[in-house]
Amino acid sequence: MKEKKVYGLTALFDTPDRIIDAVKKISSDGYKKFDVHTPYPLHGMDGAMKLKPSKLGYITLVFGLSGALFALLFMFWAMSIDYPMVIGGKPFFALPAFIPITFELTVLLATLSTVIGMLTFFFSFPSNNHPLIGSDYMRSVSADKFGISIEAEDEKFDDIQIRALFSKLGTIQIEEIYYPDTETFPMFQKKFILFLLVIAILTGGTTYFVLNKLLFMQPFNWMMTQDKLIPQERSEFFSDGFGMRVPVDGTVARGFLPYEFKGEVNPASFLSNPILLTKKSILFGQQKFLTFCSPCHGNFGDGDSRLRGQFPNPPTLHSNRVKEMPDGQIFHIINNGQNIMPSYSSQTTVEERWAIVNYIRVLQRAKNATQSDLEEIKKESAANGK
Amino acid sequence: MNIDYTIEAPVVEGRLTLGDIERLVAAPMESKPDKKFYIALSISGTFLLIGAVLLAMSFYKGVGLWGNNQPVGWGFPIVNFVFWVGIGHAGTLISAILFLLRQKWRTGIARFAEAMTIFAVMCAGVFPIIHTGRPWLAGYLMPYPNQHGLWVNFTSPLVWDVFAVSTYFTVSLVFWYIGLIPDFAVMRDRTTAKIRKTIYSIFSLGWRNSHRNWQHYEKAYMLLAGFATPLVLSVHTIVSFDFAVSIVPGWHTTIFPPYFVAGAIFSGFAMVVTVLIFVRKIFDLEKIITLNHLEKMTKVILATGLMVGYAYGMEFFIAWYSGVQVEQFVFINRAFGPYAWAYWIMVSCNVIIPQLFWIKKIRRSIPAMLVIVILVNVGMWFERFVITVTSLHRDFLPSSWGYYTPTIYDIGILLGSFGLFFTLVILFTKALPVVSISEIKAVAEGAQPNHGGAH
Amino acid sequence: MANRVLEYQKKDLPQNMSKLGWALFAIGALAGVAAFYVDNTRAAYNYLIAYMFIMSVGVGSLFLIALEYVAGADWSVPFRRLMEFFAALVPLMFILIIPLLFNLNELFPWMNKKLVEGDAILTGKAPYLNSTFFIIRVFGILLLWTLFFYLFTRNSMNQDSTKDQKFTKRNIIISAIFIPVFAITLTMSSVDWMMSLEPHWFSTIFGVYYFSGTMLAALATLTLAVIFLNEKGYFGKLLIPDHLYSLGALQFVFINFWGYIAFSQYLLIWYADLPEETVWFLHRWSGSWAFVSIFLIIVHFVVPYSILLSQPAKMDAKRLKIASIWILFAHILDLYWLIMPNMNEGKSGGAVFGWIEIAFPVALVGLILVVFNIRARNKNIIPVGDPKIERGLNFRL
Repeated sequence: MKEKKVYGLTALFDTPDRIIDAVKKISSDGYKKFDVHTPYPLHGMDGAMKLKPSKLGYITLVFGLSGALFALLFMFWAMSIDYPMVIGGKPFFALPAFIPITFELTVLLATLSTVIGMLTFFFSFPSNNHPLIGSDYMRSVSADKFGISIEAEDEKFDDIQIRALFSKLGTIQIEEIYYPDTETFPMFQKKFILFLLVIAILTGGTTYFVLNKLLFMQPFNWMMTQDKLIPQERSEFFSDGFGMRVPVDGTVARGFLPYEFKGEVNPASFLSNPILLTKKSILFGQQKFLTFCSPCHGNFGDGDSRLRGQFPNPPTLHSNRVKEMPDGQIFHIINNGQNIMPSYSSQTTVEERWAIVNYIRVLQRAKNATQSDLEEIKKESAANGK
Repeated sequence: MNIDYTIEAPVVEGRLTLGDIERLVAAPMESKPDKKFYIALSISGTFLLIGAVLLAMSFYKGVGLWGNNQPVGWGFPIVNFVFWVGIGHAGTLISAILFLLRQKWRTGIARFAEAMTIFAVMCAGVFPIIHTGRPWLAGYLMPYPNQHGLWVNFTSPLVWDVFAVSTYFTVSLVFWYIGLIPDFAVMRDRTTAKIRKTIYSIFSLGWRNSHRNWQHYEKAYMLLAGFATPLVLSVHTIVSFDFAVSIVPGWHTTIFPPYFVAGAIFSGFAMVVTVLIFVRKIFDLEKIITLNHLEKMTKVILATGLMVGYAYGMEFFIAWYSGVQVEQFVFINRAFGPYAWAYWIMVSCNVIIPQLFWIKKIRRSIPAMLVIVILVNVGMWFERFVITVTSLHRDFLPSSWGYYTPTIYDIGILLGSFGLFFTLVILFTKALPVVSISEIKAVAEGAQPNHGGAH
Repeated sequence: MANRVLEYQKKDLPQNMSKLGWALFAIGALAGVAAFYVDNTRAAYNYLIAYMFIMSVGVGSLFLIALEYVAGADWSVPFRRLMEFFAALVPLMFILIIPLLFNLNELFPWMNKKLVEGDAILTGKAPYLNSTFFIIRVFGILLLWTLFFYLFTRNSMNQDSTKDQKFTKRNIIISAIFIPVFAITLTMSSVDWMMSLEPHWFSTIFGVYYFSGTMLAALATLTLAVIFLNEKGYFGKLLIPDHLYSLGALQFVFINFWGYIAFSQYLLIWYADLPEETVWFLHRWSGSWAFVSIFLIIVHFVVPYSILLSQPAKMDAKRLKIASIWILFAHILDLYWLIMPNMNEGKSGGAVFGWIEIAFPVALVGLILVVFNIRARNKNIIPVGDPKIERGLNFRL
């Protein structure tokens, strides 16, 4: 049999006062590699063991600050550089609104780093193969005893001397701890390979199923099947099975308000021109006039049709009768038609009709320009540098 | 009863030795579950199943099965979310804030309350995600580089919620686990069964009660408590921001953050007391979770209940004082409108009934306490209902007023969340030590050296 | 365990402390009177700042006493007597309020009948904001506070000689009643004296905001007194750092609390951007007030937070002293920020600072010292008869 290597000597004590005294003695005797094991932290033990204050706080501080900095910089970059977007009228870098997330990330990083730092860096966990674990000594200090262990690696380690010291301090039990035999784990055990295989098949299968099947099943397929009416499809909801329904009487389609004064003679008093005379609206009216009106009324409204007699020519728009018509009546005529002229309400929108009315007014003024109008034009051209 | 103020009341009653404490706490884990356990588990499991089935149907058919509609788009899911997050506040409060305040009585209840926090946050987390209608797309809530080149809106309180609740869950879990490590070691050293020993060994990470470790451990615990305290406040604050940053009258009021936090502590403590009353009885922990502890908790409930009452009053007063008509209307509508029944349930359960705790006899009577804390839970659920629903159902446009009624699906899912919560609680009582063994040992009589010495 | 109460011996407070107090008070009060002749409005506003500060320290101390009883704390028992001394500022407020009563018209726009009649919102508020009800409220609140002050101190003093535990029990009951009363009255006071300076504005959190400042001011004065008396050996043997740590930790908590409340109020108003609410912050952002606002964040949060963050700092008497003085300054600045921007409302913007702004705080510090000295004369510095005093002196974390 191989000889076991000694880890160290341990001693148990049964009251907190006694262990504090014992520890004071041991640390003042100059032992360095000793440790105290208690079922819960004892007050005053730090001083007795002459431990330096924990440096854990520095990890927390550094990671907490970096969490805050990262969060702020990232949100600054994302919201004001990478994809700037005005939200709620707030500036791109809306600092007050970034505070909550900054705070959360600070806390998250600080706590996680504290814990991970403590477990790995300070404790070197996990350490389930530590020689003390599994010993009777560990069972006692886990329950209700207080123990001291001195490692064999300590410079002053001397089996006999330490035993004497322990008994003098009033120990109730001394135990020698040995390093456990090193265990070996052969890599290619049958069981292990089988285990890997099962995992591979399971993950592969699941991934295939999720990506190729599950995502196309109800309800994960973006709610493709829904209990709603789909035009020109069968519906289970109605007894006749038609998904397409005849609208209720009096239904008006959005944006297609019917013309109220159809067939009336002169509703001009109810109609007023909503369109301002601007250059833009006049040019728009010109375009529409040239498209829809000029074929019969002529390019300048003179009644000189381009239709070469296919239709009778309409009268000129520069007659006094037309000039004196209110805007509403011209609008009404475009809507309703007059004599041989048909309604243009299906070809033009309301806005376009009013624009045409405006343009007709422009034509009328141009045909009957006064001296002052001419001077005005001259002035304007001079101002434009022509 | 006369109290001698010169002596500190013992935390653990009956002069238990360290060994007794350990045996008492470890007992539920070392015995086979009995019939009562299975009955309790099957009841809570049934509720869980009901919830799960109704939830599955909601996804299959679509969330139109719920009562949520215009104008009340935030119905039960948000009410339940806020309710459960609130419940989840007591644990961290007890474990962190009372730890920082050096309240030794917290040791008996901290572990259990922390576990309840974690379970409650799990219940809470379900609701906003299902409220989206497509929970499998919840990943979009995380900011990750994607093909659209888009980021989540970091200025949105709903995104703050995602960060706050997930941070809170993570930190609570870590905090809880850190507290459990020494207890896992205790269980490892107690048990002889091989599988259990392996499991405990893995989770104990090789903890060996070394004081060189305890020193850092205590520091870490303190740091975590220091971070958990503002964190717990921030979580419900951010939940309150969900409402308060809007301009909806009844939601937009500056007292919401502290008011929500007080309400959360209030409801959380009520829930902890509710569950602890049963746990201490069933598991024979009356000497560790003593009547004194429960009495202290009722005092906290009374105090936070008063804070909540203060907030109700302040809201009403400022609504009148502000001179803003819609604001005034909302509060009159709350108290006398179609949802007046909910409002008065809330006021009587949250403000009026807890006043009974002024009487010492009621504070020390378990049945009376149980009734009151359950009513407080009901009241706090209705508080969230009142805030969410009454503010929405009649806002600026009288033409879009409406009345919200939950459907059977809403109610079933709420019951399901209770099922989830209690199933987890019941499993926890058998799987892990419900009281922190090492902490309670440390505050037992004679556990600390007498002559102390300098720090 | 050594009996530490026996080590305590009654000592008179040092003479120069009283002299310093009187000197400061005299200088400040003279300058203050002069200020009322030079610029009545500005002096009235400054006087209001000083008055609110006195309220913070006085009622805040009263609340800390109640909190100690209700929470069953033992670490703060040796300091309770000091809080009782500071709470004596409360009855004094009956006298201090007089100059304000003569200047209500200068301070509050809602006192202007014409303005109120022409303004539908102010007319709506008139049932609350009118001079009669205002005065009833103010004096009612002062009476209540004085009553509680009287009850607390009487029981506590009686206990010194009798050592009877029933006084502790009585004070616990009084404290439990006082705390809700305090919450309501302090909120009312903050609304009356500060929120109604800008009568259109409203914020539900305002009472809590002022409460956080109150706690800081009361704690900082207490800490200063504790450290000073401890250094001179008034507590018998020296207090261990654990006591200081508790004080420092509480200060740290309330600094965070103030930051939390201030941020909540700002964020919600900033985010919703409703004109009836933002107006208050806009006044505090116009002209040089913007610098005061930013300065306030630094003075009231960033600096004290950094000073008190580390654990050793909370135990170190010297750093704690700096922090306490700093916090008192911060509280004055906070009140200045809350009150002064309303002085020139609608007229020229910008912060004003001059000798008037210094005179009143000087008088204030003097007054607190004087009151403390008068109250402490021939009395025990620690409540020797309290059943928890032994535990309090031997307190360990």
